[in-house]
Amino acid sequence: MAFTYFRLGLVSVALGLSLEAQTKVERGIALNPDGAIRIYALVGSVRITGWNRDSVSIRGTIGKGNTFHVGGAKAGMKMFVESMDQRSSTASHLEISVPVKAKIWVKTATADIDVSGVTGSLDLYVVGGTITVNGNPSDVNAEAIDGDIRINGSPGWARAKSASGLVSLKGNSGDVTLSTVSGGIEFEGRTERGKFETVTGNIRYAGTFLPRGAINFDSHSGSIDVTLPEFIGADFDIVSIAGSITNKLNSTKPIKGRYGRGSELSMSNANGGTRVAIRSFKGPVSLMRGKQAQ
Amino acid sequence: MTDDIVDEQRLQELLALTKQLPRSIDPPSGAWGQIRSALEAEPSSSGPRTTGPFSNAVIGRADAVRSTRFWQRPVFLAAAALLLVAGSSAITAVAVRRGDSSRTGSQQAGVQPTAPRQTEAQIAAAPTTSPATLAEFTAVEKDYIVTAQRLAELLAVQEDKLAPETVATLRESLRIIDNAILEARRALATDPANAALVEMLSGSYQKKLDLLRRTAEMARS
Repeated sequence: MAFTYFRLGLVSVALGLSLEAQTKVERGIALNPDGAIRIYALVGSVRITGWNRDSVSIRGTIGKGNTFHVGGAKAGMKMFVESMDQRSSTASHLEISVPVKAKIWVKTATADIDVSGVTGSLDLYVVGGTITVNGNPSDVNAEAIDGDIRINGSPGWARAKSASGLVSLKGNSGDVTLSTVSGGIEFEGRTERGKFETVTGNIRYAGTFLPRGAINFDSHSGSIDVTLPEFIGADFDIVSIAGSITNKLNSTKPIKGRYGRGSELSMSNANGGTRVAIRSFKGPVSLMRGKQAQ
Repeated sequence: MTDDIVDEQRLQELLALTKQLPRSIDPPSGAWGQIRSALEAEPSSSGPRTTGPFSNAVIGRADAVRSTRFWQRPVFLAAAALLLVAGSSAITAVAVRRGDSSRTGSQQAGVQPTAPRQTEAQIAAAPTTSPATLAEFTAVEKDYIVTAQRLAELLAVQEDKLAPETVATLRESLRIIDNAILEARRALATDPANAALVEMLSGSYQKKLDLLRRTAEMARS
């Protein structure tokens, strides 16, 4: 197991701090440029910033009744805020500078997670807080239950899931999956393989596709608005079981659904290319013409 | 049989006799004609053939036989599909009610819920690929329901680790997904052959499982 040394490190390095009241914390630990970091916190905030040093700097305040532990070795380290009472934990706020290429794993209860300037991989989990990513990590896997997830940048691939929160990605990514139950989904940028799915949330896609890609949109009752450049090469297969389809990308008209209701639209735009499948049960689907791709 | 009861001389005689037997023999005279007649009388099960050994007259006889089979008529097939949908809906309703009542019951009695019996491997055994047809969906729907039930039980045990507002959000999200499932089911009862509906229904179940699984995982840690 890759993180076994974390446990050994925690025992051998033993940098645990037991804090009786809200206390400032300030630590510096050496870490390889591509080292791994695991962070666990409950309430408050975790702000992570990439920097061009082979070390980790931790600053912040630890809430009353909480205990802060940190330890590890150069290949990887682990830190966590332990609360005496998890039901009413006080807020701890951590500001952590990490090597730009570090691999980050963070899990919190309601503490907001903010990551910027990191190019390594990110695994971010929050139950009820907000996740914000700024920069170009190699990959992002972000999950929330009732919090927003906002990614501003161009990760190599991105997976973001929330139940009721908004999930958005503004930037370019080769492979994107954004998913919610009732939260909205927003994408602005360019992708090759994309999956955008919700139950009742609204999906808004504005941007373009890379050639020969595959993009899927799926909604039960939320609206799906897709804005694309006029001459985007794509093959569309759109089905709305009981909803409407509006096409303002070109002059092709949707037809009545093959089962006597709803709408369908199968067409190629600009000689085709990327396969675009849109499935909606009763939410309206709109194809709109936007700016020409750069 | 053991060595001491084998008569070696008798065995050698038997081997010599078998060597004299012919390598192959012809069937009794007239047997092939009877087989051919029987085959021609048998209706084709894979639809009418336009080429091959069967004459048009034979195809006509096969169609006539097929058309008399009531269970292959479109009306009966549609009724069977509706019955399947209604049946699986009933299973869903029973499973959901049972889950709610069992949790409520233990809470009312002030009994701490016991640890779930299911292992993660069992829960992970839920269908991961989307069925393409109603028949395929019906076959895997029980797995969806059982897995969702197990995950819900697992989550019920860990629910006190989550904030009340998170629990409320989770319940609301599950209610939204269940409504979507119900709506898609009703539509499927009207259009049993609608592949897009099957795809959507399956997708809704997978969303439900994914949400339950993710929440249980987060609550556990």
